[in-house]
Amino acid sequence: MPIDITDRLAISDLLAVYGDVLDAGQYNEWPGLFAEECVYTVYDAADAERGLSIGYMLDDCRARVLDRVKFVTEVWRGTVEPYRTRHVTQLVRINPAGAGRYTVRSNFMVSYTQPDGTCGLLVAGRAQDVVQVSAGRAQFVERKLYLDGTPARYLVYPL
Amino acid sequence: MSTDYENVRHAIAQRFLNSSDIPKEVFSDPDVYQEELKRFFYGRYWHPVAHRAELPQPDSFKTAWLGEVPLLVTRSAQIDEIRVLVNACAHRGALLEQRTWGEAKEFECSYHRWLFDAQGQFLGAPGRKEFRPDFREENYSLRRLRVSEHAGLIFVTLDESTPSLAEFLGDALAPLSDSLLDDGKLTLLGYQRVIYQANWKAYIDNDPYHAPLLHKAFHMLGWQGAAGQLVSTRPYGHLCILYAVKKYQDNGYLADPSVVEFRGTDDRARVIALRPVTGITKHVDTINVRFARPLGPGRTEVWYAFFGHASDTAAFAMHRVRQSSNLLGPSGFISIEDAAIYNRLQATARDGGYQRFVKGVGKPRADWTQNDEVSNTDWWGHYREVMGFAEDGFSQKNERD
Repeated sequence: MPIDITDRLAISDLLAVYGDVLDAGQYNEWPGLFAEECVYTVYDAADAERGLSIGYMLDDCRARVLDRVKFVTEVWRGTVEPYRTRHVTQLVRINPAGAGRYTVRSNFMVSYTQPDGTCGLLVAGRAQDVVQVSAGRAQFVERKLYLDGTPARYLVYPL
Repeated sequence: MSTDYENVRHAIAQRFLNSSDIPKEVFSDPDVYQEELKRFFYGRYWHPVAHRAELPQPDSFKTAWLGEVPLLVTRSAQIDEIRVLVNACAHRGALLEQRTWGEAKEFECSYHRWLFDAQGQFLGAPGRKEFRPDFREENYSLRRLRVSEHAGLIFVTLDESTPSLAEFLGDALAPLSDSLLDDGKLTLLGYQRVIYQANWKAYIDNDPYHAPLLHKAFHMLGWQGAAGQLVSTRPYGHLCILYAVKKYQDNGYLADPSVVEFRGTDDRARVIALRPVTGITKHVDTINVRFARPLGPGRTEVWYAFFGHASDTAAFAMHRVRQSSNLLGPSGFISIEDAAIYNRLQATARDGGYQRFVKGVGKPRADWTQNDEVSNTDWWGHYREVMGFAEDGFSQKNERD
């Protein structure tokens, strides 16, 4: 099934803006990239292949997504060691699922930079998303990230 | 003992005068680290390396590390017993099994195709007829370690003279049973992994136990508590905190309070530090064994293994998964605040100062409470003895029972 070019552009924009929002530390903007009913999860890729269910982050409803923002911006602030991120995202495949919905695969690498100047690769992995496009605007219905290997440090912020 | 270590030992002994003031060089000195590997990790201690739930089927295996020694944990279908072998080919020493888990009846070294069974016995190799005249198959088994098991938790030791596991655990045995739901019939839910930029002692010293002042999350959730019972064993200093789960009262702070709800019936909450370096927690509805591995003086890898119980309903297992994923791992609501502290402690480990224990130090043992810092000092007293820092006649000060 051919993919509407405006939908393709909307999906591509969503992936780009997603990384930009997080890299800018605009965590309050992050839930707005998800549909009202949404899922956000971060798993270890090998564990997921093995059928294990534990994730690094497991937000299976919008309320959990909102609570994650609260912890990042209010609870942990001042205690955790902060770092800046840089998302590099590669769109791999878009498949229509009907009614403006698409399954989207992408790869990502996220670097981290700590206040002392330490900089390195935080995580690499793949994303398996479900995206809804309505009136030219794309939002994540599901965003499931699968990490390759152990993160370079403990994760604070959404990926 | 190497001359290098003897010099270091003598210098530290002059600063390490009691179990409440810890010279920071023990967290950063490379000679101390090497000696710790010998005395603790390869010495007369038991080390948890797996839970039976990680090897659910006959022929399951898991690889792990004890310090710098690679391990192959097998569950042989032939004898249905857990064996722990050194994961190195008995021929030229290549790492035998590269995968972290799987199922296998036999293990073949890809270098010269030597074959071993799951009990570590040599089964055969190409060119066998031309092997040296004194070759005896029984001398070329994989090295097998002493194993002991409690509530499904598999412990190993490299030292044949290590006392029994029950003696080693002492009064920590009962809290450990509590944590593993008595019968140990657990199911593996999954892992979270992390590398801390911290010495292994900084990790275990501050993971299971610390004052709740750190946890802004507790404050937000109205979860403060200090009414727990404290158990500290001697001589090893295993530390156990026993309390009852305090149900979360929804104060409107969380949009989704279901993730912190207590939905089970077993309200025993336990936090345990098994020396030298394993953390075990049973908190709310999570069951967690933290398998830690030192990676040098300033790095520690921790695998947080989360479990359910064989009797869990599907809905309760899913609740455990949600709670485990979000609450008590390295990025969990609560324990991420611990993670930040390990690294920050390590950042000052070369400044020539001390880490000090203050609160409750000097109180009679019977009066120790959950939030007293004194609870880690049995371990530090033991560490000081084992590392030879108490040998030079420098007396312990400010110590009381």
